[in-house]
Amino acid sequence: MDLHGNSQPEPGKLEQIVYQFRVKSLHMILDSRVPSLRRHDRSGDLSSASRARKSERWFNLALGDRPAALDNVNFWHRSPMDPMIIDVILVHEGSKSTGEYIETVIERWVVQYEYPRVVAAQTGESSASYKKTYKKSIILLRALYSQMRLLPAYRIFRQLSTSSQTYNFDIIYKVSSFSDPFSRADEEVMEEYSFTPVETFPGHLCISVTYRTTLSDFNLEHSTSLLPKIITDYVGSPNTDPLRSIPSSEKGVRAISFPLRGVRAPSPGPFQRPHSWTSGFHRAAFSAQSQPIVGSPPAYRPSPMQYDYPSPPTDIYGNRVQNYRPPIHQKAISYDDYQLSPPFSPSPSPSSPSYIASGNPMQKRVRPETAPVSIPLPITGRSSRHLSPSSFDPNRSSLPPLSPRSRRADPSSQESPSGITSFRKIEALRSGEVQNHYAGHKLIRDSKDDSGRFSGLLSSSGSPRIGFSRSSSRLSFQDDMDDNDFSCPFDVDDVDTLDLQASQNLDGRKASEFTSQSLPIGRKSQDAAVGVLVHMLRTAPPLRQDSSCYSSHSMKTEPEGGMATASGFFMPRKTADALDELRSYREMKDLLLSKSGTRVVSKEEA
Amino acid sequence: MNCEVCQLNELEVEHFEIREVLRCILHTVVFHRALGLVRPKDIDLELFEITYVQCGDAELEKKIDEKIDQFIGWVEKHPNKKSQICLSFYEVKNRQPSWFIANKVERLYWEQWYINLNVAQHTKAHSSKSHHSKVVVDPRESAPEERSARRAALEASLREVLFQIIKFVNEKKDHVPPIPTLEGVVCFPFEITIPSSSDSFGMDIFKRMLQTGHPTMLS
Repeated sequence: MDLHGNSQPEPGKLEQIVYQFRVKSLHMILDSRVPSLRRHDRSGDLSSASRARKSERWFNLALGDRPAALDNVNFWHRSPMDPMIIDVILVHEGSKSTGEYIETVIERWVVQYEYPRVVAAQTGESSASYKKTYKKSIILLRALYSQMRLLPAYRIFRQLSTSSQTYNFDIIYKVSSFSDPFSRADEEVMEEYSFTPVETFPGHLCISVTYRTTLSDFNLEHSTSLLPKIITDYVGSPNTDPLRSIPSSEKGVRAISFPLRGVRAPSPGPFQRPHSWTSGFHRAAFSAQSQPIVGSPPAYRPSPMQYDYPSPPTDIYGNRVQNYRPPIHQKAISYDDYQLSPPFSPSPSPSSPSYIASGNPMQKRVRPETAPVSIPLPITGRSSRHLSPSSFDPNRSSLPPLSPRSRRADPSSQESPSGITSFRKIEALRSGEVQNHYAGHKLIRDSKDDSGRFSGLLSSSGSPRIGFSRSSSRLSFQDDMDDNDFSCPFDVDDVDTLDLQASQNLDGRKASEFTSQSLPIGRKSQDAAVGVLVHMLRTAPPLRQDSSCYSSHSMKTEPEGGMATASGFFMPRKTADALDELRSYREMKDLLLSKSGTRVVSKEEA
Repeated sequence: MNCEVCQLNELEVEHFEIREVLRCILHTVVFHRALGLVRPKDIDLELFEITYVQCGDAELEKKIDEKIDQFIGWVEKHPNKKSQICLSFYEVKNRQPSWFIANKVERLYWEQWYINLNVAQHTKAHSSKSHHSKVVVDPRESAPEERSARRAALEASLREVLFQIIKFVNEKKDHVPPIPTLEGVVCFPFEITIPSSSDSFGMDIFKRMLQTGHPTMLS
């Protein structure tokens, strides 16, 4: 950034300009074309704030936070001479509307630094040449920015990113150093536009774009049809064992989406529902807008997390299969609310009227976490069975998150229905995770090679991708745990960052599709639940040491039902109940701690 | 340093479209020339399906809006005229401070943009009598199809103008002066000249030329 200083020799400055130029242009293109990335970052990753500030000033163009996906596009590993080819790909339904999705490159941006092999010795240009270069590249980036808004693809990008409705198409991207040339048919409908190169003596910085002049050929529309599809072996079905232990809270939480998806789509195209789910989850919330996709949420009984009602998940997922991205375009409004005050947010997303009718804030709170599974808690009001929330005060919303931990060793206990809920979610994660673990790892390994070959890898297979995104996100999630300074290890921010990082491993294209979508609904609830749990534990230091303190703590912080909480004096009956519950919570906590190693512990101690 | 001039394609606008069209064009041009740290702001036009970029600077917006208001006022007083708005960027060169010249700063224009508008005097009710020199639109109340056709044509033309701006901005970069450090968003001073109500358009140009400090004009 210090281009006006003379600390670096000129070639160094030019290199810096070229490097930053590529970063900036990629940032801009992704920001203006890939709605899922923007959504993921919207929560405002705190850790990236400082990074954003510095990078923003490059070329005097503040674009906001860089998508985390950018970080893994290895600019360093690529030679600056290699062109950076960014394909903006439209994923849309085929004409047959069979549910298969076709990827079409609608724009191809090429950012290239042309450097002549033989550099004639020229002494004419002075040290001011890099300043001129910098100035001209600023102008070029401005022009690029404006141009991106004038090309046809911008319209559908805006549709995807701002509309609350869901569509049957999506935009993804791919960054590579090489690209397959367009077919003749494609070329005929595309035009090319080249920006005037910026002289970076002795080379040139060039940007050009080949774009489709019209996008009306595609069948891009709202997706309203919900094709029923029977899924027989979803995670929550009686077939799967709900009592399997989860490997670790984080992992489990992450993987939950997969079992559902993987199971659901026997021959998943890359853009089957699973994808739609993951990207939608990122920003959490399954706000009201996401609900319509699922049809009538009230019709669905508890989500698979509950493990009580096998059928609803089928319906939910089945219906969702056709919606390429049902939750994707839902703005995570409700989720954000949730994020701010997880345990106590009484403002659930207003989507499901049934929730409102139930009047249980706890339910609402949990609900947003699982968009596709519209109703984590039974709407029918059989809350006694499932949902502790129904029997809890709104203020007690913090309790359910504890349950997964405490209930771990005692799954059959019904004392804390909410705990069971979360616990079962974790179970679902676990079972799902195992299924696709291998596939995911395999792909992750391959994805490390970002020389561009991964793109081929990604485009070749169908189902492996699902597993891939899953495990990648899981891995990245773990990696990032230590770095994040969040109050809850399962904050959405973590997820987003991690997912994006995972997607970066893939170098973007499918990763953005997959990883962003890899947040399972169930995982969200798991996250939320465990997050609240951790939050609770953190705020209650004495709780950890002494079981007797648990009861007092629980009395203090968790009003039960209508009981007075502050005093700590309870009827013996209630105390025993609370103690039991807390004991179970503690067990769960211990379990999670043991699973996750030192991570959670460190967080609790923070 | 030579002064680059860009004549933008003429646009036929209706009275109520002036504001949006002018805002779009002026902001677009300034965005490409405001080389200070900018946080771009995307603005969607209401009347057209076009998104343009603003610098996100409140002062700039105010300045442009004021000029547009002035222009609209002028148009109302001078209907049926082709009008031109000039957006010029200049460098300020201070003359030798003389004891009798307090405020003699010289402006060296290095770029000028001419926005050519043809305002159709096609206000809602009363326009039957007015005649236009070159207006395509029938002064009578147009059928909706005509209106939408015209609207679509204008949108296409406006898009063309924006492309034109980007093209010009891209091709001609050498004449842009070095970016002054420590300036705000809009690092190069600029001015927007609208036809003044006093006299003909030619006089405005003449006045501007006097201010330009072009070597041939200065004595």
